[in-house]
Amino acid sequence: MKTSEITAAQAGLIGCNTCSLLTHPVSMEHPGHCPRCGAKLESRRPNSIQYTWALVIAATICYIPANLLPVMNTTALGSSEADTIMGGVIYLYTSGSWPLALIVLIASVMVPLGKLIALAYLLITVQRGVKGGVRERTRLYRMVEFIGRWSMLDVFVDTFTVAMVQLKPLMSVEPGLGVVFFAAVVVLTMLAAVTFDPRLIWDSGTEIEVRPVAAPKGHPSVLNEKSHA
Amino acid sequence: MPESTLHAELPRATLVTKKHRRISVIWLIPILAAVVALGIAVQRILSEGPTITIILKAAQGIEAGKTFIKYKDVNIGQVTAVQLSDDYSKVKVTAKITKSAAGLIVEDAQFWVVAPRITLSGVSGLGTLLSGNYIGFGVGKSSRAQREFAGLDVPPAVADGQHGIQLTLKAAKLGSLGIGAPVYYRSLEAGEVTGYNLAADGQSIEVNLFVRAPYDKFVNAETRFWNVSGMNVSLGADGVQLHTESLVAIIAGGLAFDTPSFADGAGPPTGSTVFSLFDDQASAMKKPEANSQHFVLYFHESLRGLSVGAPVTLLGLPGGEVTDVGLDIDPKTQALRGRVEIVAYPDRLIGRLGEQQLAIGQTLAESNQERHAFFDHLVEQMGMRAQLQSGSLITGQLFVALDFFPDVKKAQIDWNLTKPEIPSIPSPLPNLEAKLGSILTKLDSVQYEAIGADLRKLLNSSDQVMQDIDQALIHFDKSITPEMKIAIEAFRKATLSANKMMQSTDAALLSPDAPVQQELRDAMQEITRTARALRVLTDYLERHPESLLRGKPEEKN
Repeated sequence: MKTSEITAAQAGLIGCNTCSLLTHPVSMEHPGHCPRCGAKLESRRPNSIQYTWALVIAATICYIPANLLPVMNTTALGSSEADTIMGGVIYLYTSGSWPLALIVLIASVMVPLGKLIALAYLLITVQRGVKGGVRERTRLYRMVEFIGRWSMLDVFVDTFTVAMVQLKPLMSVEPGLGVVFFAAVVVLTMLAAVTFDPRLIWDSGTEIEVRPVAAPKGHPSVLNEKSHA
Repeated sequence: MPESTLHAELPRATLVTKKHRRISVIWLIPILAAVVALGIAVQRILSEGPTITIILKAAQGIEAGKTFIKYKDVNIGQVTAVQLSDDYSKVKVTAKITKSAAGLIVEDAQFWVVAPRITLSGVSGLGTLLSGNYIGFGVGKSSRAQREFAGLDVPPAVADGQHGIQLTLKAAKLGSLGIGAPVYYRSLEAGEVTGYNLAADGQSIEVNLFVRAPYDKFVNAETRFWNVSGMNVSLGADGVQLHTESLVAIIAGGLAFDTPSFADGAGPPTGSTVFSLFDDQASAMKKPEANSQHFVLYFHESLRGLSVGAPVTLLGLPGGEVTDVGLDIDPKTQALRGRVEIVAYPDRLIGRLGEQQLAIGQTLAESNQERHAFFDHLVEQMGMRAQLQSGSLITGQLFVALDFFPDVKKAQIDWNLTKPEIPSIPSPLPNLEAKLGSILTKLDSVQYEAIGADLRKLLNSSDQVMQDIDQALIHFDKSITPEMKIAIEAFRKATLSANKMMQSTDAALLSPDAPVQQELRDAMQEITRTARALRVLTDYLERHPESLLRGKPEEKN
């Protein structure tokens, strides 16, 4: 069954960002405040695309030194060693513990890169007004947002190691500059995911297929759900 | 509604939408990130030093990214790649040098692998046991930059930046000297042997050594070097003496040098000065003799124990040495005799004259004639003669002694011969054997028979004495024995009565119910009890020593 559903914005309504109350705004340009919780109403996050782009680009820039600079300087018995993320992966792989290597590779290299690519893809499709795959893109967005909090794994490991391995004359570990950039990548992509307004995806693709199973029970499903929440 | 129509006629205000397309502040974030990242990149590129390649025989513990190049223990570079050379025979090590050290990478710079090395003369590179091997760096003097180097197989013996001089010695044989063998100056380690090689003609060894500052200034063109390898045991009048420079020198060999006092003024050695290596200090420090006089001596006795180099003494002071020991046929008598050639150094003896006689010594040293005349006087008037004397009874070493024998036959020195003869006299005790022989001869001449006869006479007379004693005893037996019998009878009676008395006393003392026994037993028991009480007391005191001061505490219950 194919039906076209309207968004709140098309209906001239705005859902409150904070308490999800569906309201009639004063006007679309100056929507005013939520009558229930007093939060400022906005139909779409202002400058969402621009902000997200800026953060994604900043994250991309930081991603390069994050991978090229050492994240950890290990000094053991007089010999010091600087490890980059990729160097660590290779070291783990060559020393036989490929499951660990895989974890580090996924968590520290592929996930940040994937997030950057995913955000860029979302931004481009929204800007181009691509209509199809709206549901998939939304899922992608949700995934990006969800995974963001887990990407700091590498930074945590680094800080823990640095704090614990301080046996000064014998062995010490110091953070490298790379970890700062890595943390910057993670924080910037998390911020980018927050500033991106997923509703924009739906703005471009107004016509969607609603599968009967996926469709909620109540008839004016989207509206009702929002107002009840 | 009229009002509404009225209002409707009024023009509507147009809403000018604010331009949201304006560049947002958010773009500062990527710009900032770009600036920081670019800054780091630029700094990296600017601080980039030259990349060099070092060709090594083997990559002993060298790893890319882990091995450093160190100069004076400061990292000046890091190995970035280790590969085999194109023909697979060597190892090509690529290293990145820090920019600050780029100026050091010149033509004659040296690179070598620093690994732990244990040699006889010491252990080096111990630090690398923990830190891993690294590449050592020796500074070059050239100013022309170079990027490809051949690494040294062994670390250079002379550490970089050390001041000192390189010297070359000529030696007949190397002995136990090895690379790294220490060079001593007055028992201080002043340098080391850096290398050796056979001379081009194959007849000698050239030993290269390095003398460190500040010891290098004690080396001049006249400096003597000698071998101090092993140890030198000497047996003298003051006991056994053991000379060694150091334990290292015993094992690894070593050299020592000094400048003799007579050569203090010599100039510094030039690059081409080749020193000779002496066997020992004595020969090294020997003054070159200005005056030397050869003599020949003839002896009619065994020359066994006399060797070339044995000292010639005058009144016990060394004044020369034996240069040859051989045979000679006396032209007059056709007899075979021992020939000993000696060289005398008159200066040595003249140098021993007292201060007041320096002037006399001076004339003797300078004028051959004066010296000959003096020698003539010694031989003719004073009776100076050469004599073989034993230096040691154990080893039987002989030396030539010039001593004075006023009552010998007159003799003269013929100075016209190339080797004038000094008259000799036989030694008083040529050797121990002769001495023993004479003792045996003396023993031989003892009159054993006469001694035997005397002994027999003595025994005969003692036999007579024994017979006399026998007779006296028989007489004694006859006259004294009856009286003795009576006396013994009386003694027996006395003993019997004494025995009786003892028995009654026994009854009083020793029977179980005897009062003495009873009292004794009581007394013993009393003593036992006392002892027990004492033990209790001491036990208590041991546990409560304070009771000595405070008394026994009251029992609580």
